[in-house]
Amino acid sequence: MAVDNEPRETFEDVDWDDIDETTRSFSRKTIVTIGVYVLFAVGLLYDYVLKPSRADTIEPLGISLQALDWLYILTLLTILVGVVVPLYENGRMTRYYWQQFRKNRAAVASLLYLGVIFLIGSIGPRFLEQPTVDSSNAYQPPVFTSAPNWLPVECAGEVAGGSCHGTWAHPFGTTHEGKDILVSVIYGMEVSMQVGLIAALITITIAAIVGVSAAYFGGWIDAALMRYVDIQITFPTFFLYLMIVYLYGGSLFSMIVIFGLLGWGGIARIVRSEALQRREEEYVLAAKNAGASGYWTMRRHLLPNVSNSVITAVTLLIPGLILFEASLAFLGLGDPTVPSWGEVIASGRNDLPNAWWVSTIPGIFLFFTILAFNFVGDALRDALDPRAEGGDQ
Amino acid sequence: MTTNRPDNTTHPPQTDQTPSIPTANDGSTATSRSTPASTINANARGNKTIVNSNTSTDSPAHDSTAAEASSDAKTDEMLLTVENLKTVFDTDDGTVHAVDGIDFTVQRGETVCIVGESGSGKTVTSESITQLFKSPPGSIADGSVVFDGIDLASRTEDELTDIRGARISHIFQNPQGALNPVYTVGWQLIEAIQLHRNVDDDAAREDAVDLLNRVGIPEASSRLDDYPHELSGGMKQRVMIAMALACQPDLLIADEPTTALDVTIQAQILTLLRELQADFGMSIVFITHDLGVVAEIADRVVVMYAGKVMERGSVYDVFESPSHPYTKALLECLPGRGSLGGIPGSLPDPTAPPTGCRFADRCPYAVEECTVGEQPVFESVGGEARDEDIEHEVSCVHYRSAADPSVLDQLDADRSSVPQERPSGRTVGTRDGEGGVARE
Amino acid sequence: MGKGVSPVSDQSGAARTEAPLLSVRNLTKHYPITTGLRSKEVGRVRAVDGIDFDVYPGETVGIVGESGCGKSTAASSLIRLEEPTEGTVRFDGEDITRYDQAELKAFRRRVQMIFQDPESSFDPRMSIGEAIAEPLAVQGLTDASRRREIVVDLLERVGLAAGDADRYPHELSGGQKQRVGLARALSMNPDMIIADEPVSALDVSIQSEILALMTDLQESFGLSILIISHNLAVIRQICDRVAVMYLGEIVELGTASEVFTNPQHPYTRALLASIPTADPTDRGTGIELTGDVPSPSNPPTGCRFHTRCPELIQPDDYAFEQSVWRRVMDLRQKLDGGTVDVDAIREGVVTEREPSETPDDVSATETKARLRDEFAIPQSLGDSRAESVLEAALDDLVSGNPAAARERLATEFATPCESQSPTLEDATAGQTASCLRLENELPPTELEQTVRSD
Ligand code: SF4
Ligand code: SF4
Repeated sequence: MAVDNEPRETFEDVDWDDIDETTRSFSRKTIVTIGVYVLFAVGLLYDYVLKPSRADTIEPLGISLQALDWLYILTLLTILVGVVVPLYENGRMTRYYWQQFRKNRAAVASLLYLGVIFLIGSIGPRFLEQPTVDSSNAYQPPVFTSAPNWLPVECAGEVAGGSCHGTWAHPFGTTHEGKDILVSVIYGMEVSMQVGLIAALITITIAAIVGVSAAYFGGWIDAALMRYVDIQITFPTFFLYLMIVYLYGGSLFSMIVIFGLLGWGGIARIVRSEALQRREEEYVLAAKNAGASGYWTMRRHLLPNVSNSVITAVTLLIPGLILFEASLAFLGLGDPTVPSWGEVIASGRNDLPNAWWVSTIPGIFLFFTILAFNFVGDALRDALDPRAEGGDQ
Repeated sequence: MTTNRPDNTTHPPQTDQTPSIPTANDGSTATSRSTPASTINANARGNKTIVNSNTSTDSPAHDSTAAEASSDAKTDEMLLTVENLKTVFDTDDGTVHAVDGIDFTVQRGETVCIVGESGSGKTVTSESITQLFKSPPGSIADGSVVFDGIDLASRTEDELTDIRGARISHIFQNPQGALNPVYTVGWQLIEAIQLHRNVDDDAAREDAVDLLNRVGIPEASSRLDDYPHELSGGMKQRVMIAMALACQPDLLIADEPTTALDVTIQAQILTLLRELQADFGMSIVFITHDLGVVAEIADRVVVMYAGKVMERGSVYDVFESPSHPYTKALLECLPGRGSLGGIPGSLPDPTAPPTGCRFADRCPYAVEECTVGEQPVFESVGGEARDEDIEHEVSCVHYRSAADPSVLDQLDADRSSVPQERPSGRTVGTRDGEGGVARE
Repeated sequence: MGKGVSPVSDQSGAARTEAPLLSVRNLTKHYPITTGLRSKEVGRVRAVDGIDFDVYPGETVGIVGESGCGKSTAASSLIRLEEPTEGTVRFDGEDITRYDQAELKAFRRRVQMIFQDPESSFDPRMSIGEAIAEPLAVQGLTDASRRREIVVDLLERVGLAAGDADRYPHELSGGQKQRVGLARALSMNPDMIIADEPVSALDVSIQSEILALMTDLQESFGLSILIISHNLAVIRQICDRVAVMYLGEIVELGTASEVFTNPQHPYTRALLASIPTADPTDRGTGIELTGDVPSPSNPPTGCRFHTRCPELIQPDDYAFEQSVWRRVMDLRQKLDGGTVDVDAIREGVVTEREPSETPDDVSATETKARLRDEFAIPQSLGDSRAESVLEAALDDLVSGNPAAARERLATEFATPCESQSPTLEDATAGQTASCLRLENELPPTELEQTVRSD
């Protein structure tokens, strides 16, 4: 690393008076991070304040961003800054985690599956039209399967022996309204990712901040925050949402925000109890001994070390949210404008005897997505524990 | 574990006499320290009954007492004989040869100290006796552990469960971890008693009080209702010892039982163990890294390094004429002796142990033949032994019959005549210290 | 409590001309015990109860004592990792207890600490390099490449390799982590290092390596070291001066060589006697402290050591064998604590008898004999007057009148140790100790002689 005969700086050379005088400078990384968020804020400002309402956000491309999209962009940015970049920076630790993670085959497959869902869900809706009602196209069976000829209004594929065979035009078939199921499923992927990621991010941000500060400061701050959590946990969020549906109609945005803002209590408690233990560790004392502020200790020591339990909680939270959104959509309480999996499943429930594919196919995706999150969560929990390390016997 | 132990044919059936725990008041009271043999309620040959003084006269002839056992060691068979024991752990980094072919014996009523640094395999050795280690990854790859005529290495888990706690008890370094915080001390102690003996709650409670008295816990009957966190570290360790004694074991395995304690409390616990041994006549295998403790309590010493035994002999021989270079180095490290600086170098990689002597790359006396072949076979040190029943043996080429061990002294003299070449240059700049890999 | 005695005068030989680097006066740390919603204070844990000592530039001072004696609290409150309840701490002439946050942050650079537990003193999610550089970053050295250079240099100085900077704590052994701890402390170029049990979690051979490294670094950088340990051997090996603490107070203070070869305080003597020696022919030296350290929330009156002191001063009118006197006092203390249960004693006798007997059948004589047994008091004391007092007290006790027994023993068998607090006094040149034996110039007990003076 260091070339020996070159004089290098040692701890004795540091002129602290000089450093004390220079006003605080920021590292490049901090500047870039702040820049990214500023850019985001500018975009948001433009969309909501400057540009004429009703116009598309990016006129020439015809892209119009809704509140939900902005939130999703913010979420993805934050994941980039808070997860991807640190992983890239600490290459050794990342490789080590990966080695541990890799031991769990099912989790690797799940991760791959989730990656594919995420990619298709992010890209697909940019290129595909939203599925439209086309009654002449109703009840087309998926490719390689067939349905009795009387079922589809007009069989798109070949008809043989009284059965209508599926075609590549509608690989997963169509619904009773003639909506293409593949396209619906792809849109559903985006919805599910949005629900899972945005709500989870809101939840863990608040939970981590509340939990860590409660643990670090203790005293009345702790008491006040935790009593609030107690109250919030008993708050009937679901009825609040029902009321909003009743008053303003279902909306994915309000659903995500409501459950994100009101669902962090349990995780905050976990974070707090974990952080309470970490606070007693000697490295926290060592940081204090170096003159570190409370913010430094929380940011550098407490937060990273509660990430274990946070990640465990999140990997349980995300599939829960996805499933919850699907159930709401199934019950017709979802956002009527977004084609979520739950909605497609619901639309096929009366046709199960004849058109099994309408409900089954999105159901399979839902099932595997939830399973995959659980597998990944399990493996992450094992991999992220720095103490359960393979070096000892 | 089952409360009703199936009548196991592997050791003699128990008599149906209800065993009572010898208390401080059965005649050996306060003077127990000075009268080791006369009042021993010892048991032998696996007969689980503690013999009350009134029945000892008509008990079977083979009920030899521990005192006889130790004075008559050559004729009496060993309580524990470990031969060529190899314990391995399968890890991501390869197979760790934690214990790699060791031999030692434990006589009845004797204390054997296994001493070594972290990574020497001493704890794994103690866990191998009743296979307490987690398996997998751990397993006994070779060798035998013969306890009172039974080869434990080839027993099934169920059979071992019967022996653990019933005839072989363990106490550990950290009493916090070993006591369940949600139950009272009494509850746990009574459970331990009832696990091994079919007695009702009242009798078990009485026994529990007796046991706590016996391990020097004041106001025992009121302490029974305390939770572990209400006791100090020393008290907890006493409770652990009481639990280990609940079944009147033949062998007590103590893994660093005093390391977490203050010196004053350590002295109390060591005295207690000596007294209990005199009263119960059990054998003790004591694992420690502290040579001071070894000198305090051992009859016989086994020095381990990197999974191998380096030197073994009676405590007097090992301390008065430490013969193996590693033992010498360890003794040098004791504060107040020799120079500061530890043993330069690091433990060999336990996944790929080197050929020849394990200590070769840290040994100041190493010669060429040290790095070839196997660990040198045991050679008798010769000289006058303080305890002639216990051979003093080392595994070092300088003690082979053809070689002359006095070269060690010669080398010592040479080195000390070169004044202090090591201390300053060593610590700054060089990379000594233990191990490239953390392995405790 | 050391008031009125200036520890500055405790220097052996010629008085020091230079000023102390660290000067602690009446340092006190109490933790309030509170109950209820309003946090009403119902008591105090007197962890550190007024201690005075100095550390001179380039000197190594040790604080030794059993766990719970307050030595670690003393260390952390004297550099305000915890706020002291009372007292002054002068560092380089300035009273650091008055520092504001900014001054305190700058002060942190001058005193650094090494922690006991190599497992918990490093953040498992920070690489070794980051951990060493953390103090630099905290203090405002934002340039990562400068930090890196310093880290590499430091790693090599403590005997590790530059490449170790990228490793994580779990990849290092205990001894290596303790080296990293030293590097982290050095990174601030401090004047003084406080080491809280720096080697007690390590093997002996590694202990001496780390201690050697500490002395090396001390020489190269002229550091002062304050080392906290329960291990007297460690203290003896590297300290110039030693303070022995018991229950929040310093009971003896002096040069290491004096304290270890010529201990003046009974507690120091007992501590020294409990160190196991590496000599199998020398087992069990005779002095054994009974019991645990009393709770610092309710320290004993008079001399705090009197509940365990083997050399407790005897009452003037009676002559005891010293060890018997200690046991009689044990009985007295148990009585005062109200924990002598005569019924339990009777039951104990019954368990060894015929099952038909009940505790009521046990005669008073038997109960008294058993009581003496429990406390290892001989059935008859040498001094007949003392014997009659004890016998009368036991009679009171057995007849169900413990208060009378308490009263009788308290008046007859009173010792100055339970009522008078000794102060730190110059015992010999360069050594102070707080024991009434020294104040009253009593002759040493027979126990005192058994501690070898090598
Ligand atoms: S065999 Fe060789 S390397 Fe091993 S201890 Fe003896 S002299 Fe040293
Ligand atoms: S004052 Fe009394 S109790 Fe205290 S140390 Fe001295 S002799 Fe012991």
